[in-house]
Amino acid sequence: MDITILYGTETGNAEMLAEDVQSALEDAGHEVLVENLSDVAPADLDVSRLHLVVCSTYGDGELPASAQPFGEAMKDAPDLSGLRFGIFGLGDSEYETFNMGSQQIEEMLVAAGAERIGERVTHDASGDDMAEDVALPWAEAVVEAVGADA
Amino acid sequence: MRKVAIIGAGPSGCFTAQGLLKARPDWQVDVYDSLPVPYGLVRYGVAADHQGTKGIARQFERVFERQGARFFGNVTLGREVTLEQMRAAYDAVVLATGLAGDRVPELVDDGATPEGMIGAGALTRALYDHPDAGDLPDIGGHVVILGNGNVSVDLLRLLAKSESELEGSDLSPRATKWLTSRRIDSLTIVGRSAAELAKFDPVMIRELAKLQAVTIRVADLPEGEMTDAGQEKLLSALCEIDGLSTGPLPITFRFNMPLQSIETKDGKVTGLVAGRDGAESEHLPCNALVTAIGFCCDGRLGRDAVMSGAEDAEAGRIAEGLYAAGWFRRGPRGTIPENRADSLALAAKIVGDLEATPETSRAGHDGLGLTCETVDHAGWQRLDAIEKAQAMAGRCRTKIPTRSDMLRLAQKIEELK
Repeated sequence: MDITILYGTETGNAEMLAEDVQSALEDAGHEVLVENLSDVAPADLDVSRLHLVVCSTYGDGELPASAQPFGEAMKDAPDLSGLRFGIFGLGDSEYETFNMGSQQIEEMLVAAGAERIGERVTHDASGDDMAEDVALPWAEAVVEAVGADA
Repeated sequence: MRKVAIIGAGPSGCFTAQGLLKARPDWQVDVYDSLPVPYGLVRYGVAADHQGTKGIARQFERVFERQGARFFGNVTLGREVTLEQMRAAYDAVVLATGLAGDRVPELVDDGATPEGMIGAGALTRALYDHPDAGDLPDIGGHVVILGNGNVSVDLLRLLAKSESELEGSDLSPRATKWLTSRRIDSLTIVGRSAAELAKFDPVMIRELAKLQAVTIRVADLPEGEMTDAGQEKLLSALCEIDGLSTGPLPITFRFNMPLQSIETKDGKVTGLVAGRDGAESEHLPCNALVTAIGFCCDGRLGRDAVMSGAEDAEAGRIAEGLYAAGWFRRGPRGTIPENRADSLALAAKIVGDLEATPETSRAGHDGLGLTCETVDHAGWQRLDAIEKAQAMAGRCRTKIPTRSDMLRLAQKIEELK
């Protein structure tokens, strides 16, 4: 399957996780591109590819720095009907606004007509799990759901 | 192959190494630290109850494990090796040693620090088992924290927590006992600027609402609406915690209170006088004063002179083949993400500079002729595993607090082989 992983990061943790997901999916035989949301405009999204979004939260529930231009551009979003995406959030439950960054991206994409595959899954930096231990099963499940559908 | 030495294995040094090796996986990047262990302020500055924030260390592990950087702990620039030797051995040297000194209120003469007064950096190093830290001070009674930044909030929060609220941290038994056996009658956090101009991160102010045994009052709030969104956000966070009452410990926020004098009796702090010029100044009695008004150079590497003579301080270039990153370059400002962005930009600059100059053959680490004992990344991984394995109940880690034990335990397994 042709898959694009988009990441929104502030400290680099989401970028590292995106690379982990890429390696795992490539090992499973998929063709995977990884892009920083800072380098992507909503109009560039290729609806023929499955998109996996990995996004953290920063400050007071805001988008991380690298996702902010994308968030701005989504205010004037093109029609994204046909785009299928899975979404994974990174956050820290020490803070009340835990994982609101990924929630914002999800809402923007859905409002523009894109279809979310599976539930939004989140990781808690203050929890006991490693992010990749939560994210890899998520990515596999999203890919499987799309594969079963095709 | 180009060889780059980074002096200081804190977040800025590690992010610089990460950026360099991402662009040039074929280069040799060596990261030196004066401590036997890496990660600097991630280990010894980020609050013990903010383990999520410390998660960035996993990125740094990969810089050594997968990107091929080498770690050399227990090497102090200026002692085991000179800057000139480093510069001769490497194509580029990056100074990323941070700023470890506590800024002291101007009205305190150096050397005349009264009993009961301690800098935030010295206190956090003592709390977090830094091997060079002094003893934990005897503070209690009415405690004033001077300064309105995130370091002050970290200390406020830790001092206000009860034992059960420290679960999951990496505080040692000694630090836990110190924090929870303090007989603190009140905590007052005093800042010179107006509330809306305080340097607090609103999210850290909101976090205080989770404290389980405090009564919070936020005094000196301005009236009227703010036009600046950031200021409005901070004020609404402060208003939200104002009046919170979950227990007996009184916490008070005071603003617009520049320090005018520190009062002492028999060499001990008894209070301070603060207030705006023109307004009536106030006397705040206290038994302990924690100063958290910023960090400065502690004299190492002659940082201030080095940076003031830099070719391009903004870009981090001091001279040909010599660079500066993080707080060493920019001063004690900015959080981890801001310093990451800086470090990645610096890495790109170094790559550009070196690629534009003809390659010369440098000896790298082997050319330094170091005779001191060093700790490599495998040694650090042994220490890391020991610290996690020996974690006390309710703790994620119990740190090894002395250099001698670090050095001994880092080598241990090799000796057994």
